Amino acid sequence: MNRFWKWTAGVFGVLLVAAFVMLSIMAGSPKDAYGMVRYALPHMHRGTLKVGSDAPDARLVALDGTTRFHIRERTGPRPLVLVFGSFT
Amino acid sequence: MQIYDDYKEHADFLTVYVREAHPTDEWQMKSNVKDDVCYAQPKTLEQRLAIANDFTKRFKYTLPFGIDDMSNAADLAYSAWPERIYIIDESGHIAYRGGMGPFNYKPEEARNWLAARYGAVKHEAPTAAGPAAKPSATPTTVAPVPASPTSAAAPSTASSTK
Repeated sequence: MNRFWKWTAGVFGVLLVAAFVMLSIMAGSPKDAYGMVRYALPHMHRGTLKVGSDAPDARLVALDGTTRFHIRERTGPRPLVLVFGSFT
Repeated sequence: MQIYDDYKEHADFLTVYVREAHPTDEWQMKSNVKDDVCYAQPKTLEQRLAIANDFTKRFKYTLPFGIDDMSNAADLAYSAWPERIYIIDESGHIAYRGGMGPFNYKPEEARNWLAARYGAVKHEAPTAAGPAAKPSATPTTVAPVPASPTSAAAPSTASSTK
């Protein structure tokens, strides 16, 4: 490896570490910075739905564990507000 | 559940529980430990059902509720994880598409959509008045609204439903 590439790799490494440190400060801890990179970043720009798109359907399970229903069954004469989330 | 209470006469609501955002075996947050909301990522539908039921019981959550199955079909179709809001209009089209939570999870935008259509519902601002304070019917400010499942355990500006 010639001198140019050594310097390039060195600078890149330093920038990478600096970016991680900055992200750790912003996120609260190195663990959270890792979590953000590992779990959140891949989801940042996924999906192609936009206003005007046909609303996709999906089958859901009711809290009783046995009843199944589709999202589109709940659409109809009134707007449907869909709130997605989890407990944690 | 303010937005639900305010607009349930005009719109239907459906909360969809998707895979956990901060399970103990992935990216657990300190706030989850503090709030005693510690669950591993469900591997079976039964585990998902158990967590969803814990949630609705703990927060006396009364909105219509559905659970994404283990194929994560709803999550994939709506890019829903970790939290997101949509409004589907009467013709079956997306009328409002919220941003990805927590930073772009903005329930007030959904409220604004409903308000533009059905009129704003305002509420008295909460005060520090004690129990002797007389309730007033005079609305003054828009009240905070329902917490999504994700935000219910640790409501925050970034993720609570307004």
